[in-house]
Amino acid sequence: MSFSVIIDWLQATLRWSAPLIVVAFGEVFAERAGVINMGIEGIMMFGALTGVMGAFYFNSLWVALLITVLVGLVLGILVSFLTISRRANQVVTGLMMNMICLGATDTIFSLMPESRQTRVQTFPVIFPKVMQNIPVIGPLFFAQPISTWIALVIPFIGGYIMYRTRWGLNIRAVGDNPQSCATAGISVIRLKYQAVILSGIFAALGGCVLTLAEVGYFSAGGMTGGRGFIVMAACVVGGWDPIRTSLVCLIFGAADAAQLRMQSANSIIPYQFFQMLPYLVTIVALTLMVKKSRVPKTWGAAYDPKDV
Amino acid sequence: MAKTEYALQMKDITVEFPGVLANDHVSIDLKKGEVLGLLGENGAGKTTLMNVLYGLYPPTSGKIFLDGKEVAIGSPMEAINQGIGMVHQHFKLVDTLSVIENVILGLADGKGKFGKLDLEPARKKFLALCDEYQLYVDPDETVWKLPVGKQQWVEILKALYRDCQVLVLDEPTAVLTPSESDELCKAIRHIVSQGKSVIFISHKLREVMEITDRVTVIRDGKLIGTINTTEANQIKLADMMVGRPVQIVRKERPAFKDSRPVLEMHNVSANDDRGVQALKDFNLTVHAGEIVGVAGVDGNGQRELAECISGLRKIKGGSITIDGRKVTDVIADPSFLGYIPEDRQKTGLVLDFSISENLIMKDYQNKPFSHKGVLNKREIRDNARSLIKKYNIKTPSEDVKVRNLSGGNQQKVVIARELDPEPVLEIAAQPTRGLDLGAVVGVHDILLKERNRGAAVLFISAELQEIMALSDRIIVLFGGEIMGDLDAETADQNVIGQMMLGQRLEAKGE
Amino acid sequence: MSEKISNRKKNTMYIPFLGDIAVSTGRTLLGIALGLLASAILIMISGVNPLAAYASLLNGAFGSPQAFSNVLVRASPLLLGGIAVSIGVKTGVWNTGIEGYMYIGAIGATLVGVHNLGLPPVLHILLCVLAAVILAGLWGAIPGYLRAYKGVNEVTSTIMLNYVAIYLTNWLVSDVTGLADKGAFYPMSLPLADSACLPILMKGTSLHPGPFLGIAVCLVFFFVINYTAFGYRTRMIGSNPFAAKYAGANSRRQIMTMIVLGAMIGGLSGAIETMGLKYRLYMDFVTGVGYESVAVALLAGGNPISVILAAFFFAALKAGGATMSIETGVASSMNSIIIAMCMLFVIGVGIVDSRRTRKVVSTDKTSSSTSKETEEA
Repeated sequence: MSFSVIIDWLQATLRWSAPLIVVAFGEVFAERAGVINMGIEGIMMFGALTGVMGAFYFNSLWVALLITVLVGLVLGILVSFLTISRRANQVVTGLMMNMICLGATDTIFSLMPESRQTRVQTFPVIFPKVMQNIPVIGPLFFAQPISTWIALVIPFIGGYIMYRTRWGLNIRAVGDNPQSCATAGISVIRLKYQAVILSGIFAALGGCVLTLAEVGYFSAGGMTGGRGFIVMAACVVGGWDPIRTSLVCLIFGAADAAQLRMQSANSIIPYQFFQMLPYLVTIVALTLMVKKSRVPKTWGAAYDPKDV
Repeated sequence: MAKTEYALQMKDITVEFPGVLANDHVSIDLKKGEVLGLLGENGAGKTTLMNVLYGLYPPTSGKIFLDGKEVAIGSPMEAINQGIGMVHQHFKLVDTLSVIENVILGLADGKGKFGKLDLEPARKKFLALCDEYQLYVDPDETVWKLPVGKQQWVEILKALYRDCQVLVLDEPTAVLTPSESDELCKAIRHIVSQGKSVIFISHKLREVMEITDRVTVIRDGKLIGTINTTEANQIKLADMMVGRPVQIVRKERPAFKDSRPVLEMHNVSANDDRGVQALKDFNLTVHAGEIVGVAGVDGNGQRELAECISGLRKIKGGSITIDGRKVTDVIADPSFLGYIPEDRQKTGLVLDFSISENLIMKDYQNKPFSHKGVLNKREIRDNARSLIKKYNIKTPSEDVKVRNLSGGNQQKVVIARELDPEPVLEIAAQPTRGLDLGAVVGVHDILLKERNRGAAVLFISAELQEIMALSDRIIVLFGGEIMGDLDAETADQNVIGQMMLGQRLEAKGE
Repeated sequence: MSEKISNRKKNTMYIPFLGDIAVSTGRTLLGIALGLLASAILIMISGVNPLAAYASLLNGAFGSPQAFSNVLVRASPLLLGGIAVSIGVKTGVWNTGIEGYMYIGAIGATLVGVHNLGLPPVLHILLCVLAAVILAGLWGAIPGYLRAYKGVNEVTSTIMLNYVAIYLTNWLVSDVTGLADKGAFYPMSLPLADSACLPILMKGTSLHPGPFLGIAVCLVFFFVINYTAFGYRTRMIGSNPFAAKYAGANSRRQIMTMIVLGAMIGGLSGAIETMGLKYRLYMDFVTGVGYESVAVALLAGGNPISVILAAFFFAALKAGGATMSIETGVASSMNSIIIAMCMLFVIGVGIVDSRRTRKVVSTDKTSSSTSKETEEA
């Protein structure tokens, strides 16, 4: 295993973790507020599609981002409405959301056959070639598209919001003891909505990063490959802390990157086993970490304003 | 307006619920700078009174005056804004946040620019309060890491932070260790010395005598009286709290001599859900053909006692045997133990099941209800019908979901299932709670009948009247220990009252 | 005091027990109706007359015996998957690993099925089924154990394992000598021996015994859940684990058993698809049917008989959808959108009430306690 292979792998790790980290940014807030948004897998898929659509039809990454945000917003509102106002079972709502998004993205994609032949423009690499040629850190950091950089920065923003702002404080309170918050005059429902909508927007953005960071095309049939569920597992393992969760996402991204590399390499172990790696790692992590995590007290439970 | 010496006056408060008069023209007044004790059994009405003060619901009639001004309190937020701070038995803290974050929750304090959290000014104010009232807590510590005593201080500081003038403490020492209780008492002294007024709800005589300036006693929804603590003693207070009965009707019963012991508990220790010790070196024997009544204010180990005997709770030390058989886990044998749990909807019934299904809850795997794993619906139905008739359960059909029955009828289902197989030991934990008078009489009749048939009955209740009417022997629980064991025929109600307040019975040398 | 307040609410009128079922069925039907309406609007937007589209859909599903045979074939995995999920729901767990169980079951069946064992078909098929069910059961034991004894959320663990199963299948049919048909244009296994294939029941169609087996399994579980002690215990644990504990029921064992049972049924489903429809194990042959089973279970609301109805509803939509697409030009993925719309409205209308989160009101001083079975949903 030569040095350049390792560098290559690490570089891919950063790139493949980026979508996970972006999605996790929003989901951490939703789950802290007590709502499990299981639909992020589907919303991510939708974002992957709208990213490509925007880039293809409007030839502009900005438009792509805009459409993606809008889609995430709408879907986030839908999930919020069902889980918060209708107090529907969060698991089921999420799974149905995924089904809908799968069907919808496949349908919409089938209406745009022209896009299949081309690779749309992807997020640019912003550092000059000179810097990219610096040994080790050059390819590792400076050859990354801008989306990866953003993904590396947002966990810290997430941490700041969660622990250093009023809103973050209220979100944490609402997920742990909504009745006391209601008594203290905080609008529990409004905060939950905000958190879930945030998770929707960032799930979509994560999908957009998935397609537009390097790949440049959308493939039907579920190209997100369960990444939404991996993010959910990362939240548990990371204790619902933005920075720790992102670190866990990095680990999963590393497994993801490893399996891609192994597919082309001629190794003794069939590449499909590397494909399994992220998922197996997730299960093991969940099993080990279940006892240690401090779950938000109302995680997954519907909030009834009539409770005192 | 003339300056009043009263921080709080509740005048003529009446709270009426359908069928229940929770508060009957109760008036209390709280002088500025005093600690007022509020004494009364469960169901006496003091919690209702405090809920009115806290704005949880309006009184049917009556007025509240704060510092001489009449106020209407429509919600807990309004109560807080009016300067009433309440520390509940179950804390309303957000465990994952820090102390200071909890304190400013919902307030405008701490708002920096762009929604940034600026806790510095709040922290300063908080630490100043700590100094002023000598209640030191680290503002940046996460709440769940704090010991319970300190968590309570956070609740108190929360109220003080909001400039409360009246501080209500509901059974504050129920969850504290003795040393924490002492610290709390000192803290309360400081608080009132700074001009605040405190209402102290408790059953622990020692503390009431130590901390309060005056004591108000409520019984059966009515105000019994208010006396200065210096003029009070345990006898007087117990007398006021349990009162003289109008008439305790004791039923005729055959005497059981030399009957065998059925329930034997030796040096049993157990913890409650929080890990605090709930039963201490508990020794108890219940014989066949006797009703042992367990008196005491709710929360002194009664629930844990019932759960340990039924096997739902593991004991940490000692042993429990029923008819010679050791209890280590749940015994689902219907002829062995009949348990009427305190929270019938949680442990005693499956609300979504029908009456017939609930009636076979312990027995469903056995004949005649099951044959080779298949349920015999006819037997189940016949069993239900005969039990419905026998126990007078009011329902159009045995297929009705238990959820749709009234409280009294739900209790009848539990009683029918647990007692009909004629088990050797029966535990009835608060069996008449939430029932109307007719149903209460029915339960009493059944328990007595069981006793007469030879069952050993452990009867736990917070209502002293029915304990005295029904039991052969009475034990009083306080803090997980037995304060005394009396013969019910000759028991003095006031002596029992004192024991309920923590006074141990001296051995009588007759 | 809180207990006095809760007594106030207890003057509930007695509703005949039929009323509960009628209310929930009514809500489900309303949700479906709204979903169909919303989809009709979408169809209209895409430029097609919704009435014509729906007529074509019905025709494609029920218009001829051949068409109906199509519905039956598509119903087979939904029946089995739906009941597998339903029995879990009765115990209070969401067994969403059907996709994985189908793959593993199919692998088991194929391992035994590709060899010409010289056995009469009945025995050979039986052996294949046995292999499928055992392997799938073992697969299901992993999330079952993790959930029952370690408290790991079963939804996440089963979904993760689904992906593992997919890649496992992928490898087996691409690379493994003796199993894979190397050199084929698409990763697939060697063909099953003739004696391992299920018979066609109607000439000219692909109808195999699968759907009837599925119906039978649903009926069996209807009996088990409602008429046996085992079923009683399951329902008790799912409805009130505290009372179940007092009744002496072992919740952990029951939960794991139900998950493993669900896995075995899922494995059977995968075996049937392989032996009755495809005659080989193809990569990615389970096309979302596992998750559709969850929707079926949801629609059925816990009643095994309703699973049959719900499965056929879905199957009809899918079978008719193909015809609808051909005849009226509606996009072919529209039928999954119709299904999705119906599900959304059913959820929105409230059949999956949060009362499933088991809020138990206790009559003592603590007014209500939300029981959380670790992230119980």
